[in-house]
Amino acid sequence: MARSRLTSFLLFLIGFILQSENASLFGQIDVPPGLSPLPVPATNPVNEAKIQLGKQLYFDPRLSVDNTVRCASCHDPSKGWSNGEATAAGVSGQRGNRNAPTIINAAYNRFQFWDGRAASLEEQALGPIANPIEMNLPIDQMVEKLNAIEGYRLAFQNVFGSDATAEHVANAIATFERTVLSGNAPYDRFKAGDTAVLSEQAHRGMKLFFGKANCTSCHTGPNLTDGGFHNIGIGMDQENPDQGRKAHSGLAGDLGAFKTPTLRDIAQTAPYMHDGSLATLEEVVQYYNRGGTDNPFLDEEIYPLKLNDDDVAALVQFLREGLTGDSLKIIEAPVLP
Amino acid sequence: MKKFLTFLGMLLLVASRASAQEPASESNSSSAASAPTGPLMHVVVDGLDNPCGIAIQPGTGVVFVADSGSGRVVKINGSTAEPVITDFALDIYGKGPEYKIGPLGLLFLDQNTLVVGGGDLPDGEEALRVYDLTEWKEPIKFDAAVASFSLPETEEVKGEGNFYALAANEQGVFVTCNGDDTKGWVSRAAREGNKLVGFERWLATKEAVGVDAPVGITMTPRGEILIGQMGEINVANDSLISFYDAGDKRLLLNLETKLHDITALAYSPRGQLYALDFAWLDTTQGGLFQLLKDDAGGMKTHKIVSLDKPTAMAFAEDGSLYITLIGPEPQKGQLVRIDPGL
Repeated sequence: MARSRLTSFLLFLIGFILQSENASLFGQIDVPPGLSPLPVPATNPVNEAKIQLGKQLYFDPRLSVDNTVRCASCHDPSKGWSNGEATAAGVSGQRGNRNAPTIINAAYNRFQFWDGRAASLEEQALGPIANPIEMNLPIDQMVEKLNAIEGYRLAFQNVFGSDATAEHVANAIATFERTVLSGNAPYDRFKAGDTAVLSEQAHRGMKLFFGKANCTSCHTGPNLTDGGFHNIGIGMDQENPDQGRKAHSGLAGDLGAFKTPTLRDIAQTAPYMHDGSLATLEEVVQYYNRGGTDNPFLDEEIYPLKLNDDDVAALVQFLREGLTGDSLKIIEAPVLP
Repeated sequence: MKKFLTFLGMLLLVASRASAQEPASESNSSSAASAPTGPLMHVVVDGLDNPCGIAIQPGTGVVFVADSGSGRVVKINGSTAEPVITDFALDIYGKGPEYKIGPLGLLFLDQNTLVVGGGDLPDGEEALRVYDLTEWKEPIKFDAAVASFSLPETEEVKGEGNFYALAANEQGVFVTCNGDDTKGWVSRAAREGNKLVGFERWLATKEAVGVDAPVGITMTPRGEILIGQMGEINVANDSLISFYDAGDKRLLLNLETKLHDITALAYSPRGQLYALDFAWLDTTQGGLFQLLKDDAGGMKTHKIVSLDKPTAMAFAEDGSLYITLIGPEPQKGQLVRIDPGL
């Protein structure tokens, strides 16, 4: 027995030490309670000057071909870091077929984009700039454009020790995006011991969330996502449904599967789903309650939930009240060079 | 101090009683496996259909295999698979690729008492069946079990299914399950000698580690439960190994392995820890891996041999390792044997 206790104690200490080591990676980013240690790639350490440069780039419309579209156009801090529309408009009003995913807690995503085609924020950052229907600015032109702006050239010199490069731009934007963190929600405070923090209805909704409603089969862990891809049936009743993850993984079973999004601050990020087809959280819960849209690739975790109206209301209340954090700052567009 | 503690922790991980040695460099004769610099490997039986479980009979050393896609349990007689329990129903796992599955995990409680984890029925109806082989002379039907247990749906909890792998101590049989994805249950059948008395959802692994799908399971030489958390099949490098106290279920240690989809875990007679990686996304990356401490106090993996969709393994008393492989297509599955030395 004594040996067993010693073993447990040693294992606890080891875990604690490893966790403490991770904490040192956060740099100057304040991680709110409820979230895991922040993953920061060793190749792109955080510092304040880089965050500020990334913020300027994020809000700068000159990163688009006609100086009209900025990252923040589609990932607007005032609209839950999405843009409030089913699909966002890029240059010349062009629209794709997918909803602009929120930047909130994107730092924790194993994959970026709905289909996961980028493995990191750094890998993702330049995609929309070059995309013809988003910002449509070829990357070499972007670099040239930025280095022609004295304030940017000096800022890149200060942060990276050289003029702007594509990699520097990606690293700066990714570093800023890494600061957009939602945590310390009533749900987190409840878990930490404040059992009175949730309303009665939200508390009931939380029980459904973790039980009968089956939400945590995919929305799990501190960021409320399993990081995987699932076919929940959205859009699968169309003639040529979006292939989703299959286009990149090549797996037949990934047809119509999309990345599980975080549910942190979900009340701010309407409309919902990869195509923005559901306008409200009520519609979302009712969709799941019906068992999604039947198709040969429907995830087996999607089935009729048999929730009654009170259940649906309670679940929505938990999503709205319980998962809205207090850590998202009001972000104003910075002064640009 | 920190290095000392880390070193101790990793000693617990690998339970090393001997230094790890690379297996001898030999070619192999397996079409579903490649080991250009790996150990000597032999194909024991060909032509299996999605084999998914192995147990070695105490006392005789005879290898039993869950020939899952054929809905039967077989015993290996030379290079022949001899039917022992037959006519299991079949279910489908996956959305593409799809695999037919019937019986899954196998475990002997004693020489003549075989426990079979089912994958043949819908969640909630799935059965953990116990067979008495004392009088066995010819194949018996799946429903000839002397005991059968299931974990049906309740108002609050989904029914359980796909009883993938089994491990046991003197008190119980632990079963990895694949029904309720919100909890990732390991269930437990209490044991009285060679009898199982009751079956319950026991350990919610997903609540403990935040990752889905407990699949591989074994007991450590010290008696902890070691579980391989497969993670999402369409996400790479997300498999975990997690150590739990077998009595009070406490999570003792949880480690990221960077393997893709762990399907089995086993300690060799020399105390070395091995994992099979199915690698669903890119099965060319699958194989047998040794799990080791690294110089920084974390863990690392060492690939012993590439294998085509490995599903289960068991060490024989002489240190031979038996592994089931699904192989390139249905009915091309294999049982392979790696010579002693791991």
